[in-house]
Amino acid sequence: MASLILTSENQIQRLNHILHKVKSLQELDASRLTTPPHSKAWNVVEVIAHLNIAYGIYIPKLDEAFTKLPDVDFGASEFKARAWQKIVIAGQRPKNGVRKWKMKTLKRFEPLLDNQSLTQEKIDAIFEVFFERHAHLKEAILKSRNKDVTQVKITSAIGPIVNFYLPECFEFLLCHLERHMVQIDEILG
Amino acid sequence: MNDETFLSLKAFFPQVTLTEKEEHHFKSLWSVKTFNQYDLITEAGNIERYFYFVLEGVQAIYILNEKGEKVVLGFSYSGSPSGVFDSFINKQPSYTFLEALKPSQMLAISFKDYQDVFEKYPGFYKWGHEFFQQILFGRLSREVELLTLSAEQRYIAFMQRCPEELKVIPQKYLASYLNMKPETFSRLRSGTSY
Repeated sequence: MASLILTSENQIQRLNHILHKVKSLQELDASRLTTPPHSKAWNVVEVIAHLNIAYGIYIPKLDEAFTKLPDVDFGASEFKARAWQKIVIAGQRPKNGVRKWKMKTLKRFEPLLDNQSLTQEKIDAIFEVFFERHAHLKEAILKSRNKDVTQVKITSAIGPIVNFYLPECFEFLLCHLERHMVQIDEILG
Repeated sequence: MNDETFLSLKAFFPQVTLTEKEEHHFKSLWSVKTFNQYDLITEAGNIERYFYFVLEGVQAIYILNEKGEKVVLGFSYSGSPSGVFDSFINKQPSYTFLEALKPSQMLAISFKDYQDVFEKYPGFYKWGHEFFQQILFGRLSREVELLTLSAEQRYIAFMQRCPEELKVIPQKYLASYLNMKPETFSRLRSGTSY
């Protein structure tokens, strides 16, 4: 099986692409953002709210990891993802614009929005949280470039069954974001 | 910006003559930016906000290939311009990264101010004409070198013309710029005189 080599530059480039995409989504009419393709599906705002919940779980974990990571002075280097983590990441990563292995969202990751009361103000607030949280992700990736990321592991949001070194965690989060960008494309048609 | 710094900046625009008042205005358009070693000055996916003039340090501009490897397109260093120019002009997200390979200090001018100086001071059109000629000739010469010279010839040609401060950056960047493996670069460095 081919190695999965992770670099901060590749991750930053992909995150920037996603941030631009979400910025352009924010300009759509509220009716497009709040209309799901069918009654059991999420709408765009619910997807964004889900991404906010998912990343929110990682913020304290990442912040704590940074307090323990020693500095390095040789700059960012490549990181080879471990076998189990590579499989977990691959489960999230969309391929050719298709989400493989559709999965049921765990209850605690569900957005639970009352779609009837989704005003423009509430929608804006959800997008604001998205940009705030994902600015934290960008900052975390940038900070990790000067850290020895092989020294600390963090537990994933789904529990100790998966732990991540920081580059693996960032890759998982990016693939999760990319997966939901595909979902948004499907919702908007 | 102190007088010495402003003199360096003025020397970069030899075609432009400004009155004292105009100089004062021109000087006010530039701000000093400082970057640590390995800082990403411009990230791929973001729009370049500045045209830079390098006061200190070395920077590499590179793109990621499909495997995610850095492919170095060029360097900037003391006294040279820097930035991701296509993104700066087109206002489109950059395909390339600009990274500080050494602690860097650069003067930066915004897109609006860059455009304004052409309108206010026509001498900048002459500068622009000559500057872009030089850039084009440089890129053509590099293309010829990449397509026609052996690895050893490329190494010698580069080492003969590159400034000293560029010779001490990490080898992998120089190797990538010369389109050779770091091992090849290392072998040439230890066994080739130029």
